[in-house]
Amino acid sequence: MAARILRLWALYAYLDGMWIARDFRSFIFYYLADAVTAVASVAGVLLLAQRFDGIPPWTRDQVVFLLGFGMVARFVPDMLGNYNVLHISRRIGRGQLDHILVQPQPVWMALLTEGFAPFWGLLSLAPGVGLMVWAGQRMGLEATPPWLLAFALNLAGASAALTAYAALWGFAAFFQPRAAEEISGSAVDLMTDLKGFPLDALGPGLRTALVTVIPAGLMAWYPCRALLGLDHGIAALWATPAAAAALCCAACLTFRMGMKRYAQVGSSRYTSFGHRR
Amino acid sequence: MHRSDRAGTPASGTVVECRSVCKTFRQRQPSERPRDVLRNLLHPRFRTIEALRGVSFTVNRGEVVAYAGPNGAGKSTTIKLLSGMLAPTSGSVRVLGMDPVADRTRYVGRIGVVFGQRTELWWDHPVAASYEWKRVVWDIPRERFDRMCGVARDILGVGESWNTLARELSLGQRMRADLGMAMLHEPEILFLDEPTLGLDVLAKRSMTRLVQQLSATGSVTVMVTSHDMNELEQLAGRVIFIESGNLAYDGDFASLRREFGDLRRLVLETDSATPPSLPGAELVGSQGMRHEYRLGGGGADVAALLRLAGEQCPVLDVETHRAPIDEVIAGIYEHWGRNRPAGTA
Repeated sequence: MAARILRLWALYAYLDGMWIARDFRSFIFYYLADAVTAVASVAGVLLLAQRFDGIPPWTRDQVVFLLGFGMVARFVPDMLGNYNVLHISRRIGRGQLDHILVQPQPVWMALLTEGFAPFWGLLSLAPGVGLMVWAGQRMGLEATPPWLLAFALNLAGASAALTAYAALWGFAAFFQPRAAEEISGSAVDLMTDLKGFPLDALGPGLRTALVTVIPAGLMAWYPCRALLGLDHGIAALWATPAAAAALCCAACLTFRMGMKRYAQVGSSRYTSFGHRR
Repeated sequence: MHRSDRAGTPASGTVVECRSVCKTFRQRQPSERPRDVLRNLLHPRFRTIEALRGVSFTVNRGEVVAYAGPNGAGKSTTIKLLSGMLAPTSGSVRVLGMDPVADRTRYVGRIGVVFGQRTELWWDHPVAASYEWKRVVWDIPRERFDRMCGVARDILGVGESWNTLARELSLGQRMRADLGMAMLHEPEILFLDEPTLGLDVLAKRSMTRLVQQLSATGSVTVMVTSHDMNELEQLAGRVIFIESGNLAYDGDFASLRREFGDLRRLVLETDSATPPSLPGAELVGSQGMRHEYRLGGGGADVAALLRLAGEQCPVLDVETHRAPIDEVIAGIYEHWGRNRPAGTA
């Protein structure tokens, strides 16, 4: 099974690469546009941190690290599921799940692999990693093996939380295909727009809401607090992966319910627009 | 999907078996009056659509079956049930000895599905890339893949669009590429849902040629839906008619003509603009001195009619031909429309 997943990822990486490099002009403009988007997504918070020498209790370098972490946490779902799980409402709402149902593989495997686009969000990854490395060096962060393990776990948790949250909303399209067609995208935007803010200054109720109801705090703020030592204790390091696991379980259960319904009612609308590229 | 996966499948016998299949859907019926807005929100009205009402039929290996009926009759619903995309409300669907929904993963590796209104091709990639995608996802052995790509190129003419992006293909090129792709894994059953919709004559011909070639081998079972009855008559030895969710006819086209009226046409050219009066033949129209009659059923005595016409005026030329199958079908649809119970879709 693992071999098949790797083979499928290789196939989709090939398709993604071919798409990006279809002609020189597209290639250049594509990356240029992505670079502008990536810079714009962090510019506001970065300038605030620079102007006020940090956003208490975060120092300027810690804010930079948080921004880098958020960019990378956003890149991973883009890389793994941009045309599937991350925007699942579009595929369900447009009746395009049928394309997956005629493939001789489990639906989860198709969803896990079909959206793999490693070149697509490369410009989110490079600046994100760069910001983290730069900030880490300035802070004198020691990347010991346990810390790296915690970092990887929290990064995976942050990415999974975004994916599961988008999917949870997206499965509404099983029940209202037209009204909920773009709901996954809105959920992603909501999480992405809030991911770069240190939330410490908010009241406890709002803070709790931002790691539960709208778990944008799980994308960078909470995991970075734990990784940078702003929140002490081993539990803090596990909180993001645990919350992400809970969200993933909820998403899986909802998906099963939705698929049962889909087998009964199917899709009465089909639009080829936006079908996988 | 390797050949060994099919070892348990008998080489002949029933491959599709539908028993008392019912499929119902609920359809919202909102009122358009402004004062009903609240009711639409809180207590919406629904009506139940019975897309299929106890449909039963079987298909044997190697058969080419036309599945026809008016719009909304339940054709696409049946294809979706047979493709594992939908589950029946009641009744059972078995194909290749499997339940298409419960055994979906194993099952869809042995069938091919082509929907005329949608494409399996990757929109922003060349046809070749879509074929390569299919090879990997379906785990098609290289030898079979190369051979079937050859079939797609030679019979369907896919070679001309091999390196063209799917979104830049004409409808005909796209459909041919789609059909070629559906064939790559050598499916045992091919479901074609209106595959020639919107195609020109040449594209239709190449699709027809492929299905006929498949049919000749006897190894592939084909179920095809279409509104083009002439094409279906060319392709299929058997036709299943579905009407308002009920199976209305299951047999060959010759029997269909006999059962529903083997309409024939008689064209007489005389030296008079006044058409001869022929009892038992209905005058369709006259153009100058050419008079066209519709003959009902196969029992019309053409020789007697010619004698009768000759007694009224000199007959200069005679043509007889069978009415196009489309006309037979139109007659059937009209008949069904008149006899349909009130309230049915």
